[in-house]
Amino acid sequence: MTAEKLLMRNFDRADSHTLEAYRATGGYTAWPKAQALDPAAIVEEIKQSNLRGLGGAGFPTGTKWSFIPKNHAGPVYLVINADEGEPGTFKDRYLLERDPHALIEGMLVAARAIRSARGFVYIRGEYVEPWRRFAAAVREAYDAGYLGRGFDVVVHRGAGAYICGEETGLIASLEGKKGWPKLKPPFPAIKGAFGAPTIVNNVETICHVPHIINRGAAWFAALGTKTQGGTRMYSVSGRVKRPGVYEASVAITLRQLIYDLAGGVTGNGRLKAVVPGGSSAAILRADEIDVTLDVDGLRNAGTMAGSAGVIVMDETVSIPEALMVVARFYAHESCGQCTPCRESTGWIYKMCHRIVEGRGTKDDLDKILDVARRGAGTTICAFYDGAVGPYISYIEKFRSEFEALIPT
Amino acid sequence: MSSHARVPSAAHAGLASPAQVTFSPAQLAEVRRLQGLYPDPRAALLPVLHMAQDTFGYVSLEVEEYVAGLFALSPAHVHEVVTFYTLYFQTPKGRHVVAVCHNLSCHLAGARAIIDHLEARLGVTVGETTDDGRVTLQSVECLCACEHAPMMQVDERYEFDLTPEKVDRILERLR
Amino acid sequence: MPKLTINGREVEVPAGTNLIEAARALGVEVPHYCYHPGLSIAGQCRLCMVDIEKTPRPTIACNTLAADGMVVLTETERVKETRRSIMEFHLINHPLDCPVCDQAGECWLQIYYMRHGLYDPRMTDEKVHKPKAVPLGPHVILDAERCILCSRCVRFCDEVTGTGELGIFHRGDQSEIGLFPGQELANKYSANVVDICPVGALTERDFRFAVRVWYLDVTKSVCPGCARGCNVEVHVNRRRPHHNEGRRVARLKPRFNADVNKWWICDAGRYGFKAVDDKTRLREPFRREAGTVTDASWDEAIAAVAGALERYAPDEVGVLASPRMANEDLFALRRVLERRGIRRVAFRVPPAVDGDQDEILIRADKNPNARGAELLGLDGDAAALLAAARARQVKCLWIFDHDLLASAWPEALVLGALGAVETLVWVGANANATSERAHWVLPAAAWVEREGTYTNFEGRVQRLRQAVEPLGQALPEWEILGRVLEALGAGARPPRAERWFRELAAATPAFAGLSYQAIGDGGQMVRA
Repeated sequence: MTAEKLLMRNFDRADSHTLEAYRATGGYTAWPKAQALDPAAIVEEIKQSNLRGLGGAGFPTGTKWSFIPKNHAGPVYLVINADEGEPGTFKDRYLLERDPHALIEGMLVAARAIRSARGFVYIRGEYVEPWRRFAAAVREAYDAGYLGRGFDVVVHRGAGAYICGEETGLIASLEGKKGWPKLKPPFPAIKGAFGAPTIVNNVETICHVPHIINRGAAWFAALGTKTQGGTRMYSVSGRVKRPGVYEASVAITLRQLIYDLAGGVTGNGRLKAVVPGGSSAAILRADEIDVTLDVDGLRNAGTMAGSAGVIVMDETVSIPEALMVVARFYAHESCGQCTPCRESTGWIYKMCHRIVEGRGTKDDLDKILDVARRGAGTTICAFYDGAVGPYISYIEKFRSEFEALIPT
Repeated sequence: MSSHARVPSAAHAGLASPAQVTFSPAQLAEVRRLQGLYPDPRAALLPVLHMAQDTFGYVSLEVEEYVAGLFALSPAHVHEVVTFYTLYFQTPKGRHVVAVCHNLSCHLAGARAIIDHLEARLGVTVGETTDDGRVTLQSVECLCACEHAPMMQVDERYEFDLTPEKVDRILERLR
Repeated sequence: MPKLTINGREVEVPAGTNLIEAARALGVEVPHYCYHPGLSIAGQCRLCMVDIEKTPRPTIACNTLAADGMVVLTETERVKETRRSIMEFHLINHPLDCPVCDQAGECWLQIYYMRHGLYDPRMTDEKVHKPKAVPLGPHVILDAERCILCSRCVRFCDEVTGTGELGIFHRGDQSEIGLFPGQELANKYSANVVDICPVGALTERDFRFAVRVWYLDVTKSVCPGCARGCNVEVHVNRRRPHHNEGRRVARLKPRFNADVNKWWICDAGRYGFKAVDDKTRLREPFRREAGTVTDASWDEAIAAVAGALERYAPDEVGVLASPRMANEDLFALRRVLERRGIRRVAFRVPPAVDGDQDEILIRADKNPNARGAELLGLDGDAAALLAAARARQVKCLWIFDHDLLASAWPEALVLGALGAVETLVWVGANANATSERAHWVLPAAAWVEREGTYTNFEGRVQRLRQAVEPLGQALPEWEILGRVLEALGAGARPPRAERWFRELAAATPAFAGLSYQAIGDGGQMVRA
């Protein structure tokens, strides 16, 4: 369980963000190896590694890369999603600040695999320091000749919108528009940024790539479960003794993460609930934490691994208040494009707010559940489904707590 | 979440008057460089709006029109972008922006008390700017530093593990 | 051509057809708000969900292309339930102000709520408030609370006019359509956004509160505003004559024609109908002698005109036909000219200012039937005709519709000509400075009061249809000219426009084979 650290191996070094430190710890050794490989062989290696997207959706990375049309004549773009915004998640901030060259090397390999000559790194606007660190690393990589020889990287700053973490919302924003997600089809791999085939990958996902090239798909796959390879970075916050980012296998359990790595529960010390994968993941009760944290493990538990942002709540936490906070977030961040999401995120927040203020009515809870269920799956992107996760699970699993707030 | 109920005059925030909404030749060269980084120059709109905000203090309607001209876009389309994102200020902001996270992890760590404290100390409510134009107070969604909750962003810097005392020390630094 | 099955019926559609259009081909309506065939696919309203075999959940039809072998069901329980849900989402923040909303009666929220909604409202919280009754420009007024954010108007201004005035600002349930502050929606096609707005968010300032739409009668016609000949509907208020300030024509709406105007018309055309109920309309024939006006009967007027044509030598008669006349009128005129051997004929009077033209619909030639006048052989040298009048070579001048004093010709030259002729006959619907100088004035029916055809600049012959009775004693020009012909001894005149057109088609090679039936609603091209 206390597996070897891959992504965080340099985090203890004060100079971990520099080219020198990266090289000194084995950096930029995968890139020459990848250059000797056929692009198709790189894609195959990533497929075999069972690397899955670590931004939230958990889609197999190699498979995603294979969707780029073969023999496409025009440009292909690699876009890195560094628009970290899922509440409870902060891993990419660490990677950008502390190991930016890992991302650059991963991008070089990925770009070769998908035959891309230009990559864009979309960093959320609030991340000023991570942006500076990463931009400086890009300059170093140009100076050292890693970049600028067949592959260029443009560092792009967002301007404050959670929806730009959605891959087509990100593309729209990168194109200089509102971050309105795009209709699919066409999928980005066919028609993405600037109308060209595009792969959008999360920072952490790409940071894994050099390790897979260096040490082989089989090794990486063996670190995880049957359907998901490797380690990942868990962001742990809320009522725990040691909040922070932890790298561990995707196969550890939520209990191990909370008690062994994060030191256990604070507050009154008794666990009430856990959000396992960022705020969009359905909440788990204290008796539901003996699940592995891989994509499929959490899916089977009725929630999702998402971005591995784990928010811990002890018994003193008010779940209705927590839902109100979460509902406010979705109401504020709904892009406004699709009717069900635009109209109901605000309404549900109003209802949650009323309930917390003691102005709820008997039928509010069923109304929220029904509205959420009716809207689920009807929109362009997964944002609303992400909101539905908490709406439904908080109320279903802690209904009596809500009912206690409603005047009879 | 970031409405500006009370708006200080542009003058005391040291902002350019509308007539001065033009970039310097060096900045215009930077606009062209940014536009050249992308397959479609429009992609430089967000970076150029950041630049404009840094230069002119906030993104006024005059700035939107000016930037629209630089991109051959209709002003309405620039206005769509400016109103969509939270980091563009459409009205004059304080010399410093204090943005407290109020999302789940910070909520669990007492963000409300931090916001209350800031409101009391600054004499404003969330969304407002102090009368002296020093600080605009915001309460914002997750800034993704939940391990250090409660936290806030002060201008470009993240401030972690806030307590009322720590907030006071931070405020003292803001001039 | 993919062949697919919709609700159990097979249909073959051109490749690239989406499921809304494929269903439409079978007469199956898939309800939708944001989809419009003339605009890009937005996929925002989420109402057009259908079930497609082998897909796990309902899919939007607008963004799904028909594919070979596809099996589509538009009325499954699941689809109906989804529609009901989406209707509720659309109405969460929509005000319940139908009684004071101009869109009532042609509102797709009302229509679809009755067809697909019918749930019990359960939104008890305060609705989101937005600006109301905001004039966007000369023709359009916005109620942002009624807007369902379908973005059709935004896409129209982006994709059709390329003017980009509108945007959707902010986000979430604060999203709001609007203009850049201080700007106007004043492009030449602005009112089309009212037509495509499925709800009462964008309404016409001109038509606002004029008359309830369910009192309107609709006639298919053609806009006479320029040489394009955009297909229109004439909306007439007959049933509540005290509404709309007594004006009969309440509004024009574009009528789809793939080959002419698609779904659109320009604002100039849309609001060009005002002359029809204007006080300048002429209602009775009259004569003017030494400045004194005397009412005349049609018999007297016709006899006077025919008498003049017979009294003067053919070379002493000049005729200025109008490209605003229909083909039937022009053909009847040609018959008159032939009967008398009159050669001095023309129809082109240069406008005082050149007409505007664009790449969308608007043509510089503001006349609907110049092409028809050309094809019917009425082209001549109008300036020479005028000169001949000034030189007193032409003694009888017969002018249709034109106001020569509002033309590019110098006023002195025009006045010289009009003053020099012994007999000035003027035929038209609205009095003007030229008719003020005529010895005989014959009132013509306006374009909405009669049947006929125009030939547009591309050679498309299109029908205008009678929407209202002629005012007073006004008659269509073909009827006036038919009576003149009879008076000239030519025998019984054709009694209807269609009969005139039959004669025209038989006598004019370019129109050979055409008939009102063949022209139908969409028009037919003349022979090249």
